[in-house]
Amino acid sequence: MEYGYYPGCSLTGSAHKLDKGIKKVFAKQGHTLKEIPDWNCCGAFEYGDRKELAGFSKKNLEKARGHFSEIVAPCPACYKNLREADEKREFAVTHPLDLFDEAFFAAMKQGKDLKGQVFTPYYGCILLRPKETAIRNNTVMEETIARFGGDVAGESIKDRCCGGNQIFINKSVTEKLSRLILDKSRGTVVVFCPLCHMAMKTFSGERKVVYYTDLLLYIMGENSAL
Amino acid sequence: MPKTDRAIELTDYERQDFSVCLGCKICASVCTVNDLDLSTNPQEMLQKLFLGKDVAADDPLVRFCTGCYRCTGACPWEIRIPDVVRALRQVHATESPFEKAFKGSVAIWGRVYEPYVLMRAAPFLLKGGYIKHMMRWMEYMGIHLPHKVKRT
Ligand code: SF4
Ligand code: SF4
Ligand code: SF4
Ligand code: SF4
Repeated sequence: MEYGYYPGCSLTGSAHKLDKGIKKVFAKQGHTLKEIPDWNCCGAFEYGDRKELAGFSKKNLEKARGHFSEIVAPCPACYKNLREADEKREFAVTHPLDLFDEAFFAAMKQGKDLKGQVFTPYYGCILLRPKETAIRNNTVMEETIARFGGDVAGESIKDRCCGGNQIFINKSVTEKLSRLILDKSRGTVVVFCPLCHMAMKTFSGERKVVYYTDLLLYIMGENSAL
Repeated sequence: MPKTDRAIELTDYERQDFSVCLGCKICASVCTVNDLDLSTNPQEMLQKLFLGKDVAADDPLVRFCTGCYRCTGACPWEIRIPDVVRALRQVHATESPFEKAFKGSVAIWGRVYEPYVLMRAAPFLLKGGYIKHMMRWMEYMGIHLPHKVKRT
């Protein structure tokens, strides 16, 4: 299947690993991701004017019109902004986490398992809130880890806020909030949001922080992914 | 027009909409800012807006709200408090140098070009002690040229 793809700014920059990971995982399953032509920044959370903010994503939807009916946006901020801008539900704006369902795993070629390894799946905020734009399956990461024999930890902090949004504004806020989460996590921290990755990574010391796509690639047989 | 009214205009709300607030303070009980040894109560902020009173730029909620939507998720009316906070930040013009650089990049290229943002925010990053994290951030680095988005 061909999906419209909205990488957003971070995946073309600091979150290039997530971008490559997503593309690889989809390619292995026989799906193609085709970028929305000439997409622009979605504005993240930086604009206080709701109409101005929605305007960015409306422009992106215009650019997708006629090319795609389903749009995949991995960055939680981009995903939320696109979905909110699609007021008439003209498109299926989908987060990749909602595509890793039973059919996906049934078709997946497994190369490795996660036996003996501990993981803390960390969703953060925007994938789970507000309700209207939340992903459908809010236990997809736990299910994946358990399915392949890994141990799941840190249930109590999966939806807490890491303060990633404040990392370049009030760093001490991010430090405090990220440490609260890290203290209650065990093993490898698995995230999806690029900003969560940065917040966790900055304060995690020796602890490993990976994208969910790294986990998938490892299970698919890529040794170096974890 | 008072600043609070201008802020409300930037949101999807009208002032009367806040009259539904029950004063239950569930938002305060889950607010992330309260994990920071600060005491804050979003309900009080909404009440001020409803009454047309000013909310100061240095109010802890305005400064430190992380936009986590925990309040919205727990509120019986799902009031989008962080949207209100962002509007207040805009009318108070208290954006950080990083946020200014972000918007600057979007204005030039239509996208966030991270090297530009880092350059423009460099004095702030130097002063703020960010350099010590650079080693941990190496995996985020990558050189690509800016791509200018056509204005359509
Ligand atoms: S999240 Fe951020 S930086 Fe990224 S595309 Fe959306 S707005 Fe631009
Ligand atoms: S960075 Fe962390 S706290 Fe922020 S939106 Fe991503 S999930 Fe939430
Ligand atoms: S979005 Fe802001 S006000 Fe709401 S719970 Fe989070 S930090 Fe508190
Ligand atoms: S949770 Fe909602 S209704 Fe209750 S005090 Fe907060 S804003 Fe008002």
